[in-house]
Amino acid sequence: MHPIPTLMTARLTLRAPRVEDFEPFAAFLASDRAEMERGRQDRDGAWLHFSSAVSGWVLRGYGAFSVTDRRTGGYLGEAGVFREHNYPEPELGWMVVPEAEGKGIAFEAARAVRDWAYDALGLTTLVSYIAPENARSVRLAERLGAARDDAAPRPWADRLAYRHPGPEALA
Amino acid sequence: MSAAGIPVLETPRLRLRAPRSGDFEPYCGFWTSERSVWEDGPLTRVQAWKEFASAAGLWALRGYGAWSVEDRATGAYLGEAGLFQPVHYPEPDIGWMVVAGAEGKGIAHEAALAVRDWCYNVRGLRLLMSYIDPRNARSIRLAERLGAIRDDTAPLPEGEYCIAFRHPAPGTTPGQGAPA
Repeated sequence: MHPIPTLMTARLTLRAPRVEDFEPFAAFLASDRAEMERGRQDRDGAWLHFSSAVSGWVLRGYGAFSVTDRRTGGYLGEAGVFREHNYPEPELGWMVVPEAEGKGIAFEAARAVRDWAYDALGLTTLVSYIAPENARSVRLAERLGAARDDAAPRPWADRLAYRHPGPEALA
Repeated sequence: MSAAGIPVLETPRLRLRAPRSGDFEPYCGFWTSERSVWEDGPLTRVQAWKEFASAAGLWALRGYGAWSVEDRATGAYLGEAGLFQPVHYPEPDIGWMVVAGAEGKGIAHEAALAVRDWCYNVRGLRLLMSYIDPRNARSIRLAERLGAIRDDTAPLPEGEYCIAFRHPAPGTTPGQGAPA
């Protein structure tokens, strides 16, 4: 298994997921808000989702971080680099619980993960696969500087690929 | 879990090692076949990936999880064995699966014994179960061969059609760890 680093930002601590993070994660996936993240999930489905997101740390060398409030330690969501069996390349992904929305939390977390992926892993590009109706995630991808890449192969036909700026463009 | 890593367990014929993404194809072959019918299968490829990745991800969450079982001589993938505890399992569960060509040779028995020894002797666990579909005669025979006893008083995983087998406690069978 690959070591899971802790990433700090101004307001957040991104750390290894823990079993107790599952309850707020499952609450998100049981809510309407999960419709655009491959659908609402019952508890068993949410567990598969939660634990499989962590598997990258065993299988790939990257995976999910739990995003927590740096001051209180409260769970705010998940961000990470993901590669499921049908992903053509590593994906930068994020999710925040409803209470943490609208505060730039996902932006701050995603940017930290992206920079880590470039600096520590040496990745040279990242995509995000987003449902076109997920306007909030599309806006966040654009705010991160990502641009729609219709030439990129995608794991699902109904998703768009957004290509993030590479390390050289960010330097 | 620390970065300590996933141990490699060796038995006379087998090597149990960390799962790798390349193991998914033979794993998926089992889960998308009729042979997985007693494990809530057959699954789609997408569902099989979730199961595979979830079992691997357990290492990061609980400090135990799935090993891939390979032929010690050839390195060929033979199946999976490990300790599983999704959120709805009351206790950790020793589980096993072998691919079609590896059946009937005691592979699952040899792998499950190695997992159990590690759980008791290295991980210090005291109570191990196997939750098995009552129609899965082959797995029930293997649980019994491992010395596990059906325990109808044990709590069951919510929503699953299964019966509980309780493994012998550490120290109660030869080679199964120090007395409690």
